[in-house]
Amino acid sequence: MSGGDRPEENTLGVLIGRRRTGVPAASTAARAVVQANAQGASLGIGHLGMGAGVLCAIEAVYGLAVFATHIGEYPSVLPAVMAWLLFIAAFATVSLTVATRGERFPTWMFIGYLLALGGVVALDFIAIWPLHDIGGHASASVTAGFGLLTALTLRPARELLFAAAALFAAFVAAITLTTPLTAATLPVQLVTISMAVFPPLFGVFVVVRFRRIVQLELDRVLVQSTVSAPRFAVGMLASEELARLDLAAEELLDSVASGRTALPLRPKMASTAASLATELRLHLIEGRRETWLYHAITESEQLGKSATLKDSGSLAGLLDPQQRDGLLAAVWLLVADKKKTGPTAQLVLGPVLPPEDAVARRTITIPIVITTTGVPRGRVDRSIWAALAKVGDFTYSSENSSLRVDLRCIVPNPADQ
Amino acid sequence: MEQFARERDRLLQASARNVGIAALLVSAVCLGMPGAVDLDTLLLVVPLYVIVGACLLRVGSGRSLFWVVTGLGAGMVILVLVQLPIVAGDNPAAQSAIVTLAGGALASFAIVLVGGVTRVLVLGLGFVASTVLTELALPGSGILSVQAATVVLGWVLAVTFAYWLSASVPRAARRIFSIGRAHRAERQASETEAQRRQGARLLHDTVLATLTLLAHSGVGVSASALQHQAGDDARLLRQLRLGGAPVPKSSEHYNLEPVEESALGHTLESVKQRFGRIGLEVSWHGTGQVLLPSDVLDAFLLALAECLENVRRHSGVTDAHVTITDDETTVRAMVTDAGVGFTLDDVDSARLGFKDSVVGRLKEVGGNARLFSSPGAGTTVVLEVPR
Repeated sequence: MSGGDRPEENTLGVLIGRRRTGVPAASTAARAVVQANAQGASLGIGHLGMGAGVLCAIEAVYGLAVFATHIGEYPSVLPAVMAWLLFIAAFATVSLTVATRGERFPTWMFIGYLLALGGVVALDFIAIWPLHDIGGHASASVTAGFGLLTALTLRPARELLFAAAALFAAFVAAITLTTPLTAATLPVQLVTISMAVFPPLFGVFVVVRFRRIVQLELDRVLVQSTVSAPRFAVGMLASEELARLDLAAEELLDSVASGRTALPLRPKMASTAASLATELRLHLIEGRRETWLYHAITESEQLGKSATLKDSGSLAGLLDPQQRDGLLAAVWLLVADKKKTGPTAQLVLGPVLPPEDAVARRTITIPIVITTTGVPRGRVDRSIWAALAKVGDFTYSSENSSLRVDLRCIVPNPADQ
Repeated sequence: MEQFARERDRLLQASARNVGIAALLVSAVCLGMPGAVDLDTLLLVVPLYVIVGACLLRVGSGRSLFWVVTGLGAGMVILVLVQLPIVAGDNPAAQSAIVTLAGGALASFAIVLVGGVTRVLVLGLGFVASTVLTELALPGSGILSVQAATVVLGWVLAVTFAYWLSASVPRAARRIFSIGRAHRAERQASETEAQRRQGARLLHDTVLATLTLLAHSGVGVSASALQHQAGDDARLLRQLRLGGAPVPKSSEHYNLEPVEESALGHTLESVKQRFGRIGLEVSWHGTGQVLLPSDVLDAFLLALAECLENVRRHSGVTDAHVTITDDETTVRAMVTDAGVGFTLDDVDSARLGFKDSVVGRLKEVGGNARLFSSPGAGTTVVLEVPR
């Protein structure tokens, strides 16, 4: 394939080798997916980053208040004051820059910020060194740990984890060098270290999970658009592929017409023309065989890896939008609900059941069987039943961690239409 | 959105559990320090720690308020117990344990308490009780001891975090929804586009024919004719790409517009020119002014072109005659050549592509094709389509 060097991605932007799924590279969806995967702020994550800044500010106010009440205990207060001033300057600069110049935190600025935070920790330690109780008196240095939250959504997780590890090491080193460890002093050291190091770790956990939620929701919403597709559809990639083949043919023909490509053609060119003709023919003939459900499953990152479809009669196309919505939601809930258990679902549609009486002849009944693995009965989401009820009457049975749902989906007889 | 909200709740629950368990462990370690509290108190308190821990684990996996209330209750009992027998203020280990419990483990319950009147009430009660009990246990010189202030900090951070995370979700959901809407429009547009391209079957057939000639390096056809044909096809493809419905000019003989009916005449002329370029002279006879539905016309012309291609390849002559006749129900084309002919039984009709490309296409639109030939006497094909 002449366009085969273009990396293919699915809706979550995961590179998927030769699997032909996903959305066209130039679409809104593709851009959204790239954004959602980008390290920077996107799709509500920027708002989350502001929240992290607010948490940091709250802690800083508390830290300053505690510092103010203990100011009399310091042998030399100057380094501690300088530590606080440095922290406030760095935090304010970074917050203002991120807020005004867009949700970006360039590497040079991040390095500068980390150096400033390092300076804060150093100055704070210098100030409380003679007191021989780092845990009991650390103020600005604990806030420095919260300061890492500012970069939470804008820098890769590993950088923050590395910074948190460095902070941890600094605390441990300072404590072992200055503080005599006894049953009386140890607890407060422990609490202080936790307060300084835990927030960035926790923040990384939350942001990673939040990103994952946003990506899943994006995947679901993108796939949802198949619900309104016609009975047979080409699918977005195939459509783009046809346009691409047309363009390739046009370029080839144009170069022949203008004489840029000399006749008779060189063997390599000729074989390009042959493969182009073959692919174009295939796309023209075979384009419209697949249903919305096939496209939904192949285009989705989540469904693509966990759901399989057997629908030899292309019966899924007969379902009305509400039934499609219910079916898609149910399958989605079955496979996307659990985290790492790797649930799978097989969907089998058809064959069509014969009508039971004369009145029923205007409709046909499509049996749908959904079999799942890795979904324990007790952990099935309740809203699945509501989604299944939208599709039609259903019965279910479960065995070990496998659930079987038998649906009877009634649709208007296509022969009458 | 429903699913999204559920995922958000899960994240909040998992956050509450993680923060809570971490703080509870730190608190337990502090309490376990030698001399932090006496043994009797320790024995009383340990089961309560276990209860708080179990409640935090349950909160991590469900939305039930019961575990929150139970956990908070058990925590408050601990806070009451530790201040009974000892003077905790003198003991830094016990102080750390109390602060971490009240401002960490118990405050983490607040993460799942933002939203809903009942939950906010529980949140308020928990916050006030934790702060007051800590202040009572560790009285300071001012209004609030440093320890009680730390507890306040813990609760404020937890509430801010939960509130902010909850507020981020609808924003993300709105953005995602609008992306979804744009994507649906794009899917429809791409579907229409694919239909339009696939609908331009006539154009694609000439493109495919030209590509096939090129695939054989253009051998057997004059270079200038092939160039001319390629130029025509490229221009039409360009029109298809740019505008959707290229306006057929008199110099172009393809009709790409999805009109209901098209005249046969000028499209026949294009077929004639195409074969003229590749060395088969086609003579037309009969009417040229027959109007046909475009799908019928497509099938008719494709079948006709296929027959002429067979003449060009197999007959050994360089001219063919096409006679078009029509009556009220049928349009008929008779393709005749004076070539070598063949015995119908000898030649597998499938080899000529006759069955698929000619008969199949005509049958699709309700037409038919018949083949007459014998060796030395040329070949005649009669194509029929309904009007």
